Amino acid sequence: MSINTVEYFIREVIHSLRRNNWMSVASIGTVAVSLFIFGMFLMLVMNMNKMVDAMESQVQIMVYLEDDFSRDDARDLEVDLKKMQGVEKVTFVPKEEAMEKFKERLGDQKTLLDALDETNPLPDSFEVMVLQPEMVKTAAENIEKFEGVNSAKYGQDVMEHLFDITRLIRIFGFALMMVLALATLFIISNTIRLTVFARRKEIAIMKYVGATDWFIRWPFVLEGIVMGFLGSLIASVVLRLTYSGITAKIYDTLAFFPLIPEEPFLNYVTMIVVIGGMIMGAIGSTVSIKRFLKV
Amino acid sequence: MIHMNDVMKVYDNGAIALNHINVDIKKGEFVFLVGPSGAGKSTFIKMLFREVLPSSGILTVNGRDIIHMSNKDVPYLRRSLGVIFQDYRLLPDKTVYENIAFAMQVIEAPRRMMQRNVNNVLDIVGLRDKYKCFPNQLSGGEQQRVAIARAIVNNPAIVIADEPTGNLDPETSWGIMDIFKNINASGTTIVMATHDKTIVDAMQKRVIAIEHGEIVRDEARGGYGYEH
Ligand SMILES: Nc1ncnc2c1ncn2[C@@H]1O[C@H](COP(=O)(O)OP(=O)(O)O)[C@@H](O)[C@H]1O
Ligand SMILES: [Mg+2]
Repeated sequence: MSINTVEYFIREVIHSLRRNNWMSVASIGTVAVSLFIFGMFLMLVMNMNKMVDAMESQVQIMVYLEDDFSRDDARDLEVDLKKMQGVEKVTFVPKEEAMEKFKERLGDQKTLLDALDETNPLPDSFEVMVLQPEMVKTAAENIEKFEGVNSAKYGQDVMEHLFDITRLIRIFGFALMMVLALATLFIISNTIRLTVFARRKEIAIMKYVGATDWFIRWPFVLEGIVMGFLGSLIASVVLRLTYSGITAKIYDTLAFFPLIPEEPFLNYVTMIVVIGGMIMGAIGSTVSIKRFLKV
Repeated sequence: MIHMNDVMKVYDNGAIALNHINVDIKKGEFVFLVGPSGAGKSTFIKMLFREVLPSSGILTVNGRDIIHMSNKDVPYLRRSLGVIFQDYRLLPDKTVYENIAFAMQVIEAPRRMMQRNVNNVLDIVGLRDKYKCFPNQLSGGEQQRVAIARAIVNNPAIVIADEPTGNLDPETSWGIMDIFKNINASGTTIVMATHDKTIVDAMQKRVIAIEHGEIVRDEARGGYGYEH
């Protein structure tokens, strides 16, 4: 392809985007909205995956004791726990310390606890570390059988519920993305169809003088790609701002809830969104040319 | 250059537009296709650049087998032909120069050739000083000259014209015919469908008369032969 031809294609695309002004804007807007929603789901799913991973690799069991269990009995229990197979470390956490930690984690929100009026609803507990994540489940089950143990909680427990939720979000997100992708393809191909229609005379002449099918198609495919690209740029910018906003908000209010750090995460998301936009643009225009150009 | 052997064209609706057509046209010939409206002249013309596919028979143009050629070879067939229509088919938002250059642009001709060829054909059709005009600033005759210039800018071996003077007054038509004569004189084969009795009679070139889809007369130096 000569420079001359490339120049010609670029001129054609600009010309055409201008000619279909509001349709182009509508297409770019649709691409942007679709990709924004896609990006939000992508980031949500990735964050949830990270959380599941983090919990799956935990070796910690929180052992909550009965309210009326005495500190002396607790010391005996500590000895028994330490003797268990696979247990690496046992730390006693008195209820006062648990409260302090809780206040710390709440940060700015700790005024919420004023309602409790200095009473402490938290129980005494043990932090039990096992050697390997696979041992957590059996160990917890055995610990719950001990006298004075109210419950033994561990991350994987929570994870099982979380897994149901992530699966739901994934299925819902996937369905939504399919619908959005179809809508985007539809509007892009419609815009391109308008372009093709507006230029049918030109196309006819091109065919008479011997332009190849690909030469005729290229400007339209490019136009689709450019629309996809512009839409994805808008989506990326908004996605980045949104994620930064959410991260900052969560850091202020729920500091213990760890999100994937912005860098380089947002760069990957941007890349996926931009490439996705261009692919949608290319497919949308190719489909409409096939249908309407008949070259 | 053009060879037809028992060519037949039946349209999808069952209309038989051409039947038992046998024709040989040699390099450098000037051929008129005449006949009443609906005789099949346009169908004949369209088959030559494969706008219409013959239903049966053998048709070769410039050594290419029109019936069996693949779709992707069609552009290369058309680069060896120049096509001219009754309604000019110029692009209204392009200047005279751009309309002609367009035909070179879209076949990716080298740019340095472009300017030379376009100026050259502008001279041939006598429109050098109007190269900046838009089609709506030109008379019908001038617009047809631009269309001719566009058709010959890539140096085709054959020029095909379907009633090129159909929309023009006699005076203007003569000017157009002079251009065709000059193009033919430089060795280009010309096939022209026309209704124009005066022109055909005056030119004394080969005349192929078609009626109801069949060739009824083929004379080396003929007249129009109908009372109109
Ligand atoms: N696209 C078409 N579909 C069906 N019939 C057609 C089509 N084009 C032409 N015809 C028919 O074929 C015959 C020849 O038409 P045409 O080649 O246009 O004749 P001419 O150019 O001599 O007037 C006519 O009967 C016409 O109605
Ligand atoms: Mg006709």
